[in-house]
Amino acid sequence: MITINEHEYRFDESQILNFAEGLIGLPEMRRAVLIPMEDFAPFSWLASIENDRPHFVVVDPNDIFLDYQTVASDLTDRPNMRTLAIVKISSDWKKTTVNLRAPIFISPETNDGAQLVLSDGKYGFEESIPQE
Amino acid sequence: MLVLSRRTGQKIVIGNEIVIEVVAISNEGVRLGISAPTQTSVHRYEVFVEIMEANKAAANSLDKKEQSALQDLSAHIRSKQK
Repeated sequence: MITINEHEYRFDESQILNFAEGLIGLPEMRRAVLIPMEDFAPFSWLASIENDRPHFVVVDPNDIFLDYQTVASDLTDRPNMRTLAIVKISSDWKKTTVNLRAPIFISPETNDGAQLVLSDGKYGFEESIPQE
Repeated sequence: MLVLSRRTGQKIVIGNEIVIEVVAISNEGVRLGISAPTQTSVHRYEVFVEIMEANKAAANSLDKKEQSALQDLSAHIRSKQK
């Protein structure tokens, strides 16, 4: 069980995701769980189950940025990889940004995950949410 | 830090699998060729630092204002999906 924002979430072993290298700059993020926010779809928590428990708001970028998948598919030859992007929440929702440059890929078959960096400069680390 | 002198075309090996070659040297800078296993990530240092900072900045609990912003954002996205 883990606690985020005073909510307790239960998970079982089969839900644990393995990030062999951690996330970039957060090597301690090796074992994590993905917890959909039922009230705040399509967002989820990606939460470390290790000691100091960093956690992120994440979203499938395809839910927000409609042309994104073509870019992600250049990076991985496994078509059914799940794609997530880290969201930096601002107290003004219009200033919230999504990191499309360094997405996280997760294999649903093995629960292995990694954060990769897109080499072309099309997407940035802080992309605004389209308002229209 | 280990500091080595290398000429154009010469290489350095790190561990058993990572090879760095000096491809060209000019007034603009040094061009390096890097051979590494596919699972080893290679980044320009500035890019690595930028991602690291972005990850660390996002790795926080949400305060009340941010939770409320997330609620608005969620409503905004769901209204567009309909």
